[in-house]
Amino acid sequence: MSETIISLRGVSVSFDGETVLDNLNLDIEDGTFVTLLGPSGCGKTTTLRIIGGFVKQDEGDVFFAGENINNVPPHKRKLNTVFQRYALFPHLNVYENIAFGMRIQKKPESEISAKVTELLKLVALEGFEKRSVNTLSGGQQQRVAIARALANDPKVLLLDEPLGALDLKLRKEMQIELKRIQHSLGITFLYVTHDQEEALSMSDVIVVMNHGIVQQIGSPTDIYNEPTNGFVADFIGESNIVDGIMYADCDVEFCGARMVCVDTGFAPMEEVDVVVRPEDVIVVPENEGDFTGTVLSSTFKGVHYEMIVDVPDQDEDWMIQSTVSQEVGSVIGMKVDPENIHIMKKYTGDYASDIDYTETVVE
Amino acid sequence: MNKKSSVLAAPYALWMLLFTVVPLGMVVYFAFWGENGFTLEYIKSIAETQYARPLGVSVWLGLIATVICLLLGFPIAYIISRAKGISQRTMVMLIMLPQWMNFLLRTYALMSLLENNGLINTWLRDVGLEPINIINTRAAVVLGMVYDFLPFMVLPIYSVLTKIDNRVTEAAQDLGANGFVVFRRIILPLSVPGIISGITMVFVPSVSSFIISQLLGGGKEMLIGDVIEMMFVHVEGGRNIGAALSLVLMALMLICMTLMNHFDDSEDVGGLMV
Repeated sequence: MSETIISLRGVSVSFDGETVLDNLNLDIEDGTFVTLLGPSGCGKTTTLRIIGGFVKQDEGDVFFAGENINNVPPHKRKLNTVFQRYALFPHLNVYENIAFGMRIQKKPESEISAKVTELLKLVALEGFEKRSVNTLSGGQQQRVAIARALANDPKVLLLDEPLGALDLKLRKEMQIELKRIQHSLGITFLYVTHDQEEALSMSDVIVVMNHGIVQQIGSPTDIYNEPTNGFVADFIGESNIVDGIMYADCDVEFCGARMVCVDTGFAPMEEVDVVVRPEDVIVVPENEGDFTGTVLSSTFKGVHYEMIVDVPDQDEDWMIQSTVSQEVGSVIGMKVDPENIHIMKKYTGDYASDIDYTETVVE
Repeated sequence: MNKKSSVLAAPYALWMLLFTVVPLGMVVYFAFWGENGFTLEYIKSIAETQYARPLGVSVWLGLIATVICLLLGFPIAYIISRAKGISQRTMVMLIMLPQWMNFLLRTYALMSLLENNGLINTWLRDVGLEPINIINTRAAVVLGMVYDFLPFMVLPIYSVLTKIDNRVTEAAQDLGANGFVVFRRIILPLSVPGIISGITMVFVPSVSSFIISQLLGGGKEMLIGDVIEMMFVHVEGGRNIGAALSLVLMALMLICMTLMNHFDDSEDVGGLMV
């Protein structure tokens, strides 16, 4: 399990003078479900296409099972891709779409037939052999695309936003389905998405990327609970990110209050980003809080209420998630446990402009 | 059809009636009605050599011209579809440009190029080569057809090729297909509709072409289009035969097109057999 199957070393690429990947290093372990996560234009799809062989990097090396594959054309690489919006062969039926790769390898018909049947069962599309791919729903086409990519028994399956075109419910179903398929085959999945929830629920390892640079690599829990910088914190889940000053180790001031935290290693009086998850804010009576604010709105979200709170002298309003709603207009006190205060080096980018989903759909 | 759309369709319906249905009716009428009422005499007379031969030659030359157009047109269309931005638009423009010139003028231009003392032969003599004798031969007629109708082959194929999703060809590569296999298994089958309409758009006007054979073939050998023209314009009482010939030609085209469309439909199954 611990063998490295894909390795990128110092990979850089730019299109029309614009840097898309900047000295990227990445190791992917065999048999894991790895997700490249980031906003549109962060270089995640380009990374996938470099591994697939469709984009040639300007610099750096790509290794597959220890072998340099820089100059190996796509059709000779032992990995397969599930493309964005399926890219099924419109002139072939379901059976022939899945059989395509095996026909090129000139496998005997009996073997092809058995494999197609097995794969259709795996993706829960038994009996669809003779259907034209144009008559299938989006979800069904997606399943055919997955089956087709698995037909050559790849060691690694690359998935490029495979669920992007599906509606929410179908997407959730397919997430579970994909995880199940990955488990049962035991092969490596390298998955690209901009959907942080999708990444959190499916992955063994998440690689958060922005502007062609890896921001953080870690398990979903690590990424969520211990984001290394403000970008990751903001991108993964909702976050309140405010300016703070580290007086000393475990001693921080933000929102006009000195608090105890667990972070160390900053310079005295260093300006930092303080990240607090909305669900980690504890609502207390006004006079018991470390800092206070006025409730601007309260929205019922199912499992909890989401409240927007105006904290005096802060540029941004706070978001709080709580199972108890507070009256709009009332002043509340807020506390945060030391372990839930995350201190980070100042991130210079603008979070809001980095997160742009609209482009991804168009590619 | 609701009231509004039938009102909107009226001018078109009138147009069709005046310029398609009525002339077609007249052709049918002249082909079957002589001075003594209904007769099959005119249709039967097409079997005579003087009519059957031009018909046969027309179909044969049209076929050759179509095959040449396909062999030339597909690579051209493929190259254009692969070109980027401005060069792609320029190439499409160059293909279209001759079409803006009158058909007759183009044929005359070709004639002056091919003549025994034309531009090409003058050049050949200048560089000390043997002049070629091509004018007034079947080859010149076929060349004229190819020259005039090549764009009708290139454009439909080009338009189909540009619609093939890049990801589909990438998916084929991803599954192990090299360049040749991608072409054979993906690009070619997906461009069949364009090829079909290209063949139809070249074959039909080639077979029924006239003037080309008179100008480039020297009038030695008449094609069916020339015979029909002659019958209607120059032969007294020839319009019955002319109409019969037109009808037979039309029937022939219909059969060809039906066969082609059938080929198009069965492509799904054809893909399976490979």
